[in-house]
Amino acid sequence: MLKNPLRALLGALVVGVGLLVWSLSVGQEPLLGLDLQGGVEVVLEPVDTPENLALATEDNLNTAVEILRKRVDAIGVAEPDITTQTGGGTNFIIVQLPGIENQDDAVALVGATAQLQFRPVLLDLGDVGGLQALTEIGDFGEEITNGGPDVSDLNAGVISDPNDTPADQSAIFFTASQEEGGPLGPRMLVGPTEFTGTALSGAEALFLNQWQVQVTFKQGAEGLDLFNASARKCFVEQPTRSCPFGRLAFVLDGVVESAPTIQAPQFESRNVQITRANGFPEDEARQQALILDFGALPLAFSDPADPGAGLVRTVSASLGRDSLDAGLIAGLVGLVLVALYVIWYYRLLGLAAMLSLMFSGSLLWVIVSYLSVSRGLALTLAGVVGLIVSIGVSLDSNVVFFEDLKDHQRRTGNLSSAVNKSFPGAFSTVFWANLATLIGALILYLLTVGSVKGFALILAIASMLDLVATYFFMAPLVRLMVSRFDERPEMFGIRKPTSYRAETAEEATA
Amino acid sequence: MSGFARLLRNENDIDFAKVWKRTLTVSAVLVVLTLGALIFRGLNLGIEFEGGASWEVRSSEVTADELSSALEPFGLSDARIQKVANELWRVRGETDSTAQLEDIKDALAEAAGIAPSDVTANAVGASWGSEVTAKARTALIVFFVVLFMYISIRLEWKMGVAALVAVAHDIVLTVGVYAIFQLEVTSATVIAFLTILGYSLYDTLVVFDKIRENERRATGLDSVTYTQVASFSMNQVLMRCINASFTSLLPVVAVLVVGRYVLGAVTLQEFAIALLVGLIVGSYSSLFVATPLVAYLKEREAANVDRQISATKRKSAEVDIGAALDEADRSRSVRSRARGEGHRVTRGTGASVQAPKVTVTKRRNEAPVATKSEGERAPQGQIKPRPRKKKR
Repeated sequence: MLKNPLRALLGALVVGVGLLVWSLSVGQEPLLGLDLQGGVEVVLEPVDTPENLALATEDNLNTAVEILRKRVDAIGVAEPDITTQTGGGTNFIIVQLPGIENQDDAVALVGATAQLQFRPVLLDLGDVGGLQALTEIGDFGEEITNGGPDVSDLNAGVISDPNDTPADQSAIFFTASQEEGGPLGPRMLVGPTEFTGTALSGAEALFLNQWQVQVTFKQGAEGLDLFNASARKCFVEQPTRSCPFGRLAFVLDGVVESAPTIQAPQFESRNVQITRANGFPEDEARQQALILDFGALPLAFSDPADPGAGLVRTVSASLGRDSLDAGLIAGLVGLVLVALYVIWYYRLLGLAAMLSLMFSGSLLWVIVSYLSVSRGLALTLAGVVGLIVSIGVSLDSNVVFFEDLKDHQRRTGNLSSAVNKSFPGAFSTVFWANLATLIGALILYLLTVGSVKGFALILAIASMLDLVATYFFMAPLVRLMVSRFDERPEMFGIRKPTSYRAETAEEATA
Repeated sequence: MSGFARLLRNENDIDFAKVWKRTLTVSAVLVVLTLGALIFRGLNLGIEFEGGASWEVRSSEVTADELSSALEPFGLSDARIQKVANELWRVRGETDSTAQLEDIKDALAEAAGIAPSDVTANAVGASWGSEVTAKARTALIVFFVVLFMYISIRLEWKMGVAALVAVAHDIVLTVGVYAIFQLEVTSATVIAFLTILGYSLYDTLVVFDKIRENERRATGLDSVTYTQVASFSMNQVLMRCINASFTSLLPVVAVLVVGRYVLGAVTLQEFAIALLVGLIVGSYSSLFVATPLVAYLKEREAANVDRQISATKRKSAEVDIGAALDEADRSRSVRSRARGEGHRVTRGTGASVQAPKVTVTKRRNEAPVATKSEGERAPQGQIKPRPRKKKR
């Protein structure tokens, strides 16, 4: 027990209030999980084929996380939380986007099984209009329709579903609009996939007189050879039937990102420049480079809404808000009831317990806020329930002390010495019991996934703060109260012995 | 004076040993019943575990039929539509793609006349569900093993066995309630089950700590049996247990009540039912499952059997254990002073005389000694009170 209760109490108060003021003044507050403020959660699981699972290395998963983060940043999410989860033989990527407005877009963006494909352009509706185009490419019509979509679909506005269209068939896709996040552009009919993003080793935006995009292919058969094979087909001065316009489209997730014209039949260098007549605007060059560099996930993921794999969760903002309100109201009501009860039962001791609860509560606020800002810890509904339950548990440690105190008072009749004698034992009991809770919480934190993790963390912090508040706040406060009202045990909820006990006590002394 | 008044004054003197046999039987029967329900009825698992899709629609106007007809174009006419709370509907079905999940969400929103963004949609793949379940199972096993080791080191292995049996008892009964009433088990409920693990263990450890403290005081006292010490300890901690569970239950009850009147508290209620059952069962099991088990295990030790025999000979059933323990404390302190150990024992420096393990408790157990001998110690007053605090 601390030597000087007044100093201990003042010290605890200064630290507690100081931290709280600091936390509030820098504007830290707990981050709300998506079940409390609405949002989107997607869990991506690699497609379950041997080749694909071999790709699911830590490096590849981290690359995928980077790509997803860039995609999510593009649609503007305040606090995206994208992590990998490695489990018994399987790896998952968990994407959490709390508070996001356009949930459908986000799900489509994250959930889509992205692959960067390079496909010859068969028809660009931006270049040639509708039916006229059909006659111009008449010769190719049969080839296109054979196993591919009906070209007349172009006019009907039909778009192929990138998930359903095999890569070796022709497909009709939208063109990406130049503006970021803007509406999708005109449709384009593209041929079978020539090669995929795996042929690229990187891409960057370069400024050489004007902004351009430089693509670097991998060596030999894995990269440059594939590109050169397409270049021979598509070389604009000798277009072939499978690449009539000399253009090769970059298709990402079923959207044509761009379709540059191939200017040579053979490329010697692995570095290939993509330029535009008047140069790219800088941001567009960077965007293009980003798409080429990071556009394709290094491995394929299952559709997260597939009954076999992954997870998609969208929580409406209003429902989240209601859950939060309900949690807060329930917590407050519970707190008031508890306060009434302990103050009725333990009087001044009950008051000390409630003040101690407020003390540990404000420290908890500071810690949770700090972890929210620095580590992205989000307070979920499970966490809120953890908090509500911890009200009872932290009172429990006070109750252990109070009952011991009363027991000692009953045996010795001296309140002041009872405090000094009962606290060490009671604190030791509480310490070891809380340590058990802490161990349990850590096991849960380390070994479980999802919302259980957040809950375990809150539980662990709360049980540690319980000990801090008991030792540095509650005990000194009780000692001060006792030294002030030494002669009035009834103010501490210690009732006079019943006649039965008083009689036996008398007998004993006699 | 009523029993309650005596309880308030910590004067309760209940012979717990008498009811233990009955409570253990009741618990055993309940466990068998709930295990039966678990095996034969099974749990109503949410999509988090089984895989599948669900949507939550909030509207006071829409009917189940309207929702059902909105689902028909998607071939989901057999989807389960449930009113989970005031104005809140939960639809459960299957989807095969993200696009379909979103399409159904839009269709339901249209049927209910609300914005699509106000519909909550979930789709969980079976493999993710099994992943979550597998992890929870691993965590549970590790939890039991590590905490068994913890209690064995901190207290003793027999208490470890008893505490974990009690925890398992609490979990089985709580989960059993979900099986019997076929309440849906969601990830929220799992968290509640885990909370109960922690709470129940905490409660049991506090009780065991008291038993151990009293058992140390009773060392060398062959007039009382282990069971009597345990029962006496129960009386000492009874009010603590009642108060602790009551203060823990109040917020949970608040959650349940608020849930009835405030919207959006469905998840909270899913937590609260499990917590309510678990907290009650958890407090009960510390006193009526864990302690009798410890007493049963301990009474088979040779030394404790001897105590039983000598206690029967002395017909000490009538003995006032509290007084006997006080007396034991007093005589021990007299003896230790006679050996010249005096207050050093109290300060813990004399621990080298004893086994080193007992240092902490030794100090605590001697606490009443110091009180009793206040007068005798007066001459050496300067050495006595402070050093104890320095240690902390």
